[in-house]
Amino acid sequence: MNHKKKQNLENLLLLFFLIIAILVPLIFGSNQYNILLVTTVLIYGVMATSWNIIGGLAGQVDLASFAYLGLGAFTSGTLLIRFNLTPWIGMILGGLVAVAFALLIGIPLFRFRIKEVWYALTTCALVEILKVVFNMWEEIGGPVERYLPYFSGSPYHMRFGSYVPYYYLILGMLVIALLVNSRIARSKLGFYLKALGEDESAAEVLGVNTRACKLRALVYYSFLIGVTGAIYANIYGFIHPSFFNGQESIKIAILGIVGGRGITYGPLLAALLLVGTQELLRASLGAEVSGLYLVVYSVILILVVLFKPKGIATFFQYRNKKPAKQEVKKKNVI
Amino acid sequence: MEVIIQSLFDGALMGCIYALIALGLSLIFGVMNVVNFAHGNFVMLSMYFSFWVGSLWGIDAVLTPLITFPLLFVIGMLVYYGIIDRTLQEHYTIQIAVTVGLMTFLGAITQLVWKARPRALPYSFIQGSIQFGGYTIALSRLISAAISLIIIIGISFFLSKTWPGRTIRATSDDSDAASLMGVDFRKTYALAFGLGSSLTAISGGLLMTFQQVDPTMGLRFGLLSWCILALAGLGSIPGLLISGLIIGIGESLAMTFWDPRARSLVIYLIFILVLWLRPRGLFGRK
Repeated sequence: MNHKKKQNLENLLLLFFLIIAILVPLIFGSNQYNILLVTTVLIYGVMATSWNIIGGLAGQVDLASFAYLGLGAFTSGTLLIRFNLTPWIGMILGGLVAVAFALLIGIPLFRFRIKEVWYALTTCALVEILKVVFNMWEEIGGPVERYLPYFSGSPYHMRFGSYVPYYYLILGMLVIALLVNSRIARSKLGFYLKALGEDESAAEVLGVNTRACKLRALVYYSFLIGVTGAIYANIYGFIHPSFFNGQESIKIAILGIVGGRGITYGPLLAALLLVGTQELLRASLGAEVSGLYLVVYSVILILVVLFKPKGIATFFQYRNKKPAKQEVKKKNVI
Repeated sequence: MEVIIQSLFDGALMGCIYALIALGLSLIFGVMNVVNFAHGNFVMLSMYFSFWVGSLWGIDAVLTPLITFPLLFVIGMLVYYGIIDRTLQEHYTIQIAVTVGLMTFLGAITQLVWKARPRALPYSFIQGSIQFGGYTIALSRLISAAISLIIIIGISFFLSKTWPGRTIRATSDDSDAASLMGVDFRKTYALAFGLGSSLTAISGGLLMTFQQVDPTMGLRFGLLSWCILALAGLGSIPGLLISGLIIGIGESLAMTFWDPRARSLVIYLIFILVLWLRPRGLFGRK
């Protein structure tokens, strides 16, 4: 009944967020460090929002996000170093390489029905495997950082001499990720994914081709993150095997879960709040005691998960759900 | 040829300790089906506790589990009642989130208290090596492996012969039926979690006899013990031991003949292949 109203409210909130996000460089514009911080938070937002497709809708806890990020970064970076290919094309190619890798891994994984914990652990191991492989693969990776050619203010090389354009690039990725997310959530694929996320065998019995659906979700997810990875490499100006970061990949999944599985803007909200808090704590406490900000951060994380297991985004849905709960109570009394 | 046998020996000795670590995880995952991502960080925490106790009171590393074992048991129980107990009914993603939070917390605490640099204890009194034919065997690893074996056999007896051990196995098979038979499943869960965590105290103490500890090694031990668990399947302690040996030997062979950096590569490749080809594990009961 109030589905449309809810949709409108969500859209309004997102619009509000976008306006603020567009204005951010005007506020912090003078301080490049702050712009970089906000960009970092937004990168986590993009990744968590993309994760929502496979993790939130399809219910597969994928812990390989930084594998796709690294692949995108290495593809675009290597093409730029070796062949002087502009990152604007390298970005798309990076996304495609990430997709190819995702298919290479996803097809056998879903074929052998690896799910739940084992899917999570396999993907977690995947990041570590890629890290070691790129460490040993001297032609492309190797233990030393490879710097991208430095040209100040050359848009062909995605170099601007300021972090503000990168910020808008990442913001653009975020908008694309959010749009893809909400389009999928409202499409046939989205309903199939939700069904198999709840109960895979039941969805299969009802005629959902679970394998194909999960693969499609994986493709969208890996492409978005692969493209982000290419931008990531250009922001920091180098590529290194440490981009394949297992700890951080787990963090992306946590942002998705804490934000609210399957809620389009949930992971973004979690990224803004948690990563924002973390960066703030790091900035304010980090200098004095190392590790203190992580203690505070993890305590917040545990408390949120314990007391809001459906996600922080449900704070905003409380009003919609309250009447339903009261009805149930009345029925019990009668 | 000699090099092969030498690295087989080294790997097998390491494998026994790995099996002991995985046994703790197997108790936790097998009994209550809780996905514990923090297990590796429990190993790291016990290594730090061993370092702490060892350097504070000048106790030898091998003996530190006498103090850290009860400590870790209490911590495990507290974690169970404080956190895990509330998430038993939730979706497994929530359990992953909560244990990852715990993992981050433990990692951060160790970083806060002991700083981010590697720590090691002075040489243990079981240091040294024995010559056996043309081979060298580090005494500390040999004794550590022997202690691990004894503990694993002891736990196996505990699970099959004593009342609390039997309640753990019953709850693991069917928690509803077990609670109908008068087993308090929450107490059993707490016992299993406490025991699973405190087993890491022993392995932590043993590891400290020949290794140093730093705050980043948690995830590696965690993934390692999940690999052994996947290889062994649930419910078989001998299977766990054999899988530990396979992983240990695989790691050691990779380090000798390929590249020291490839050690984790081999483990994770074995892990993924096993999951694809035999998802129940090699010795799995269910």
